[in-house]
Amino acid sequence: MMGQLTTIARAEWRLWLRSRLAFGALLIFALLLTSTSVVTALRMSEAHHGRTEQQAGAEATFLSQPDRHPHRMVHYGHYVFRAPPPLSMLDPGVDSVTGQSMFLEGHRQNTAMFADVRASAELGGFEDLTTALVYQLFLPLLLIAIGHGLIVREREENTLVPLLAQGVTGMQLYAAKWVALAGASLALLLPLAVMCAVAIGRGAAPLASAGVVGIYTAYLLVWCSLILLVSSTVRSRSLALGILTLLWLGTALIVPRIAVESASSAIPVPGKLQTDLNMQAELREVGDGHDASAPGFQQLQANLLAQYDVTRLEDLPVNFRGVVSQAAEADLTEVMNRHAEERMALEAGQARVAASFGWLSPVVAVAAGSRALSGTDLATHHRFLREAEVVRFDFVQGLNRVHAEQLPYSDDINRNIDAEAAKRTRMSAENWKVLDAFSFRPAATSERLSRANTPAAMLFAWLAMLTAIGALAARRMQP
Amino acid sequence: MPMLIAKELSVERSSQQVLKDVSLQLEQGEIHALLGGNGAGKSTTLLTFLGFLTPVSGSVHVQGRDVSEDVGAARRAIAYLPEGATLYAHLNAYENLRYFLSLAGTDTDRQVLDVALDRVALQAEAREMRMQTYSKGMRQKVAIAMAILREAPILLLDEPTSGLDPAAIDDFNRLVRDLAEGGRTILLVTHDVYGACHVADRIHLLHRGELVGTFDRPSDMDRIDTEAVHAAFATHAAA
Ligand SMILES: Nc1ncnc2c1ncn2[C@@H]1O[C@H](COP(=O)(O)OP(=O)(O)O)[C@@H](O)[C@H]1O
Ligand SMILES: [Mg+2]
Repeated sequence: MMGQLTTIARAEWRLWLRSRLAFGALLIFALLLTSTSVVTALRMSEAHHGRTEQQAGAEATFLSQPDRHPHRMVHYGHYVFRAPPPLSMLDPGVDSVTGQSMFLEGHRQNTAMFADVRASAELGGFEDLTTALVYQLFLPLLLIAIGHGLIVREREENTLVPLLAQGVTGMQLYAAKWVALAGASLALLLPLAVMCAVAIGRGAAPLASAGVVGIYTAYLLVWCSLILLVSSTVRSRSLALGILTLLWLGTALIVPRIAVESASSAIPVPGKLQTDLNMQAELREVGDGHDASAPGFQQLQANLLAQYDVTRLEDLPVNFRGVVSQAAEADLTEVMNRHAEERMALEAGQARVAASFGWLSPVVAVAAGSRALSGTDLATHHRFLREAEVVRFDFVQGLNRVHAEQLPYSDDINRNIDAEAAKRTRMSAENWKVLDAFSFRPAATSERLSRANTPAAMLFAWLAMLTAIGALAARRMQP
Repeated sequence: MPMLIAKELSVERSSQQVLKDVSLQLEQGEIHALLGGNGAGKSTTLLTFLGFLTPVSGSVHVQGRDVSEDVGAARRAIAYLPEGATLYAHLNAYENLRYFLSLAGTDTDRQVLDVALDRVALQAEAREMRMQTYSKGMRQKVAIAMAILREAPILLLDEPTSGLDPAAIDDFNRLVRDLAEGGRTILLVTHDVYGACHVADRIHLLHRGELVGTFDRPSDMDRIDTEAVHAAFATHAAA
């Protein structure tokens, strides 16, 4: 039983090694995989170093600012960078299409900007070919090229009858041919496994890395099963090749496009300009707190005077302007966060709709799972936006507290009288240490694994379905 | 116990009746030949014994067991030489033999393979060459060697001499007789009247799916009356 299985599988491998076409295709793919992997790894590790350095530079610049009025530091601002996680060297995911850096300042949430100033023309667009894409799109083509004839070849060359006449059952033959192609797939997963090992060496979570290998294994096995099923049911090799090429076009190119289109028509996300205009109107109502005498802060002023039982702002133990800045920032932030969360919820909804097309195309499923596990999906970008906002809010409010608690109100309102007065409002640079160091990390392994659950379930559903149909086809295999 | 039985066998292919009420029976050590023109149903008969085709009525038994009940047992008991000797072009003779034989559960070392290849007189220098370089006759020789090496009690041979030169045909006929004397049961499909008459104990003449004549080798003769068979063959061919 087992012996026949390995005999047939080994015979298939021998055929591939002897066939110039199959061997050439394998060689080209090995080269393509290796070069793409090296390029992607270098690019992402360069991006990682670059952004980490820029992050450190931004922090040093902020801390090295001279003594100043604290509110000037609020507007001086700060930068944060989203350093790509180690597994991005396999799958950079949304890294190149979402901003990787953000300017943080008071009263505003800026959009993420593109951090890497790099002429992409230099690489002729080649940088978009990632290891993940090679596995998702091109390896199935290789498997089709070497595997479409698995069974139909025996039928065409009349070797199926002699094969079965030796007492090999249809089931055994089917299983053996599957093992042959699956074996080739596993060999082709080796570069991926090596890269995951390297990523672990650079701090990637071992479980998430194993998950990446696992999800690509399931994915390639889906293709093996599909290829074998077609090969066992049609009458000619060219028909098998035609059908499989169409299936590839459908699952790799057409369904993903439909997924994106359906997502944006199912959940329309209004243009950034429109939502910004709406938000600006709301923000104007709150006010940025620069004008402490604005009617919006009358109530605050009355409460504060009552609390400390004084009648003049000058007699308060805190600087009223600083208090207003704190209150205004808190109110503005609430509005901005509500808008930001609404927008992220819409975007996440779109991503969910698009990912649900994984039930129709294993390519969509593996892409979603791979990004989630690598920590390069949209959810990770959103996590960056939220973390950046936390940093922004904390340092702005930290400076506002310095403003409220350390800078006397009378100095503050008289700072334009003369140079001496202005000097008194300059707070020590020691206070700039309210800034927290920022180092972006993708979500915890357990969270990433759970985000990859659905894509993995899709791939297993595909595998189960194809195995069931394959078993039926194998049982009634006719020469 | 008869080794092969076909009982009132009827078989359809693509909804066309291609065998009708065919009955035959082979005892151990017997050689029978199925003789008939193209499309008579000779190959179909062999494929039915192997369980690749299912009778619409009647039955086939191998070593007393109904094939429809245990296809595996039938295939294990039979060494089958398919029509047109289909082997792998990218493998050499040894590799082809080893592959098929190991699938049948026989492990064979090179010396044993060489003995069989010697018996079919395949040139030694060709044996390591890929079979894509072989002539039809050379491929046929390897296929015959394979059938012998299977060491199955029953041989079903579909046009084994096609492509062989006259000397090789003589060798083959001698080989078949040797195998029968060694206890193998052989059902041979051919349209070579002369060869059939020389090796077979009994000839069944098949015409358009029906058995139209049976000729036995008289016990005091070493061959069947070729003239009679020729005459019968010609009658049906004309009809
Ligand atoms: N694969 C097939 N599918 C359908 N009909 C077939 C097939 N092979 C043979 N036949 C038909 O079955 C009949 C018997 O064929 P076959 O047994 O191969 O004849 P023979 O071996 O005597 O030349 C013929 O009429 C032939 O057309
Ligand atoms: Mg025939």
